[in-house]
Amino acid sequence: MKLDLILEALREVFPSHTIETRRVPIDETIVTLPPECIRPAAQVLLKQFGVYHLSTITGQDTGGEIQLLYHFWHGQGLTLCTSLSRGDARIGTLTGLIPGAAFYEREVSEMLHVTFEGHPDPRKLLLPDDWDGEAPLRKGFSVCLPREGQRAELGEEGSQ
Amino acid sequence: MTRMTIPIGPQHPMLKEPLSFLLTVEGEQVVDSLLRLGYVHRGIERLCQERSYLQNLYLLERVCGICSHVHTTAYCQGVEALLGLEVPLRGLYLRTLLCELERVHSHLLWLGVLAENMGFTTIFMYAWRDREIALDIMEELSGARVTHAVNVIGGVRVDVDEKQLPSIVERLDELEQKIETFLGVIQHERTFRARAQNVGYLSAEQVCGYCVVGPVARASGVNVDARRDAPYAVYDRVHFDVITNNEGDVWARALVRALEAIESLRICHQLLVGLPDGPTMVRAPRRVPPGEVVSRAEAPRGELIYYIRSDGTDKPGRIKIRTPTLTTLITLPDQLRDVNTADVAVVLAGVDLCIACADR
Repeated sequence: MKLDLILEALREVFPSHTIETRRVPIDETIVTLPPECIRPAAQVLLKQFGVYHLSTITGQDTGGEIQLLYHFWHGQGLTLCTSLSRGDARIGTLTGLIPGAAFYEREVSEMLHVTFEGHPDPRKLLLPDDWDGEAPLRKGFSVCLPREGQRAELGEEGSQ
Repeated sequence: MTRMTIPIGPQHPMLKEPLSFLLTVEGEQVVDSLLRLGYVHRGIERLCQERSYLQNLYLLERVCGICSHVHTTAYCQGVEALLGLEVPLRGLYLRTLLCELERVHSHLLWLGVLAENMGFTTIFMYAWRDREIALDIMEELSGARVTHAVNVIGGVRVDVDEKQLPSIVERLDELEQKIETFLGVIQHERTFRARAQNVGYLSAEQVCGYCVVGPVARASGVNVDARRDAPYAVYDRVHFDVITNNEGDVWARALVRALEAIESLRICHQLLVGLPDGPTMVRAPRRVPPGEVVSRAEAPRGELIYYIRSDGTDKPGRIKIRTPTLTTLITLPDQLRDVNTADVAVVLAGVDLCIACADR
């Protein structure tokens, strides 16, 4: 199977690291790697196995750390997972290998304050240019949802 | 020649949704373009974390007004996988049926927008008129033309009556004839070909590098389709061809989408003939056990991917949505380079932008 070959190749490239894998639905394998291994691993996927399709990069704040998930597709889902420290979240860019990663990285960068080193165009993607700097997807960002009472007030205003 | 910078958008008659461009032109030729997104960013991913799985169904349906059903399909099948729910076959058939009707109406809507941007108002009117056939069928099935609210976690909330079927089949045949007419226009109408051929070219290498998906990728000869590659719902039970073309221009995209709409109608027929008996849904618990899921579906514009993480509560820990339009937007500066300013509208329409999807 292609997946076994890929995992074998990754173990060869990073002999000093333990590479953990876990299966999740739907037909997805998540491989956990240290941050410095993501770029070389993507290179192995691209150059040795022709896995060019990066579906997206998911960034999430798990509370203790910032987790990045690089969802690749090779007829099956293969996700490279890495964790960055919350205090200084930085990782190398993949844009040199995969130009399509540019938008994904810009989004993760603004939503979670992750620095992608070497990104050619690190502008904001979705947030306004004058956004005050809080990262919307970090824990502790408060979302102002209307309270029940407020909703009623709004409703009354609307009916007048 | 002197260079000039022309701002287009965020509000512009050519654009159906807000998007901003800075075009740098030399005379009539575009030399550079700068893209700015985010004018309809609603923070849906973050809002999902504040709502229960059930409430999110309502929210995610509103990511996009055109392909709302495929969003809830990807979401529901992800949550169902986390819950280990077995969705009844009849529910999956109806879910797939709506997915395909949605593809047909989306492709016709797109053809109309493209034709209008070309100044071909007749086809715009006809495409949007005939799109109503698909919308009418969807309204009969679900009660709404758009945002159908058909999917629920555990199946679909609607059922189809045996008596409705002959009329639906009849109208699907009628729609197929109409699309055949459009296909003829795309293939043979000289003005259409002149405006669409050799415009907005993308090579297969560019498509792979930018990770482009859907009809835009297939029109450049990259044979990808999540329905075939990662079969979900009941796509493994129906026969259909994945349409590709090697031209890589707007004309090829029109051809691919028209043929794809016909394939979708073929799928609809198979689904209606093979519709099994039984319930359409099962009850789902409110709390979802801890876990992660990556759910893929083929939206009208290409691969849609949802990542959902559950912490074991009734609210998701994280929902990540990547819509197909985001992957095509990144190719726009490449596509716009060296085109005539009169063709900018055709290039923009050609990739089938859905900004609400891209911004979320």
